Amino acid sequence: MEMSYDEAIKQLREWRNASMRKSTEIVEIGEYLLKKSSMSLFNDEVWLIFEQVYVAALDISRFDLADFCMKKLKGNFPDSVRIIKLEAMQLEACGEYDEALKIYNELIERDPTNAGVRKRKVALLKSKGDNTGAIKELCSYLHDFMVDHEAWYELSELYIKEMDYAKAAFCFEELILCNTFNHLYHQRYAEIRYTMGGQENIEIARKHFSQAVKLSSNTNMRALNGLLYTSYTMTSAKSSSKSGNSRSHATWAAKMILKKYEDADVKCMTVRRKETPEFLASATLMLKHLGTESNP
Amino acid sequence: MSEPELLLDSNIRTWVVLPIVFITFVFGIIRHYLSLLMASENSITLDSLRDGQALMRSRYLRENGKYIPRQAFLARKEFLLRKEGVITQGKEKVAPPRNPMTDPSMMTDMLKGNLLNVLPMIIIGGWIQWAFSGFVTTKVPFPLTIRFKPMLQRGIELEALDVSWVSSASWYFLNVFGLRSMYSLILGENNAADQTKMMQDQMSGAAMAMQNDPQKAFKAEWEALQITKHQDSMKYIEDIVVAMHALPEDKFTTEKIPSIQASP
Repeated sequence: MEMSYDEAIKQLREWRNASMRKSTEIVEIGEYLLKKSSMSLFNDEVWLIFEQVYVAALDISRFDLADFCMKKLKGNFPDSVRIIKLEAMQLEACGEYDEALKIYNELIERDPTNAGVRKRKVALLKSKGDNTGAIKELCSYLHDFMVDHEAWYELSELYIKEMDYAKAAFCFEELILCNTFNHLYHQRYAEIRYTMGGQENIEIARKHFSQAVKLSSNTNMRALNGLLYTSYTMTSAKSSSKSGNSRSHATWAAKMILKKYEDADVKCMTVRRKETPEFLASATLMLKHLGTESNP
Repeated sequence: MSEPELLLDSNIRTWVVLPIVFITFVFGIIRHYLSLLMASENSITLDSLRDGQALMRSRYLRENGKYIPRQAFLARKEFLLRKEGVITQGKEKVAPPRNPMTDPSMMTDMLKGNLLNVLPMIIIGGWIQWAFSGFVTTKVPFPLTIRFKPMLQRGIELEALDVSWVSSASWYFLNVFGLRSMYSLILGENNAADQTKMMQDQMSGAAMAMQNDPQKAFKAEWEALQITKHQDSMKYIEDIVVAMHALPEDKFTTEKIPSIQASP
């Protein structure tokens, strides 16, 4: 292992703060640190490192290392809710979902304000494949913790899996309310609306696609494409003013996409030639169609 | 007029200045660990948590409502403000008056705060004044006015003495404030030996007021949300985007415009 102690600790701390799931690397570094060095070196941070390595070990089924970490943690914090939660995670990792569920229910009863345990229960139900149960649990969680945007995002993902797009759109509206300037939220919300279909939804989708383009300063390609498709669909709208506007927007979007791919092509020669022409083909086709329509 | 500098006995330095620093520092550390031991569990109830989150959600809706479709905004507004809605419920809820005298938990918190911070300062200050009185301890490097004389030169009754020469009690108080950065070096940020933060807390009673009266906060939020209307911020957004990022071929033309072309 080439890293020094300080570097290793710093790296683990970075990953911990960013909640990155680099389980293999964490286990590699963690095993080296924990088994070979004396603990007094990092005083209180060592418990956080133990927890981090424990979860990473469970992730890659290194149960021996997980047991080692758990023994140390339990030795120092004999009566802790956090430790019990970690133990239940081990049961989850072994596939004993019912046992783990029992423990989580107990913990929730003991302290309903513990957000971590409630979210853990949702994750368990999700990994069991019980989407409806997970949705129900997550809804009751959100009833109490209304402003948890990660939870809203997770709920929207679950709804999309169940193909309940209206409710997924609702969740994304919550997300947009919390972080208005995140162009990715606007883009995904627009995609959900576009999937739902229908004149009104496509109009809403178009607005949010353009908002996403605006917020990302014209770099969000998905939003650009979305704008193209929605405007193109609306060129056949009943009212003439809307279709006229849509035509100009669609033309602009198509030209912008082609231009961006031209620029990108010049920059990176490794663009896979097989895929882009198809993608561009739709834009070029639409452009041609729009051009011929406007000049009868 | 520059007075001849007083030459202080070096014993003063060894037996007064340094011990006072040492005492202040050690008592600060003791205070920090004692406060850790006596820290009360401020457990938050599910209800108060839900209330706080509901208020935040309502605030977000008010501020950013214009970025979601009108129907969505109205639906949420209705949900929050209807009879069984969270905000109305919070408004109706009659909070028990948090009278400091009767509420036991607040009483103990206040007592602990006082005991831990103010009392030692008074006791040690008084002891130092009694033990190390009658002589000049140190000189502050900047000149002061006469008004500070009784405050800083408590045990010394000399009229002609420059106010910059101070007694031990003032050296103690100087230490109390000065060692704050030392504490953060040794004990990490947010330590309990830092008294100035406690004094700041006393001045900003706003935080206390919020906890004491969630009902008022709910009422304010209810009224604010009631009058919020939905503004369609994205009416012309596509045109804005197309205009903002217009392609060169749409902006400029290569045609010759006959009217502008200069006649030779």
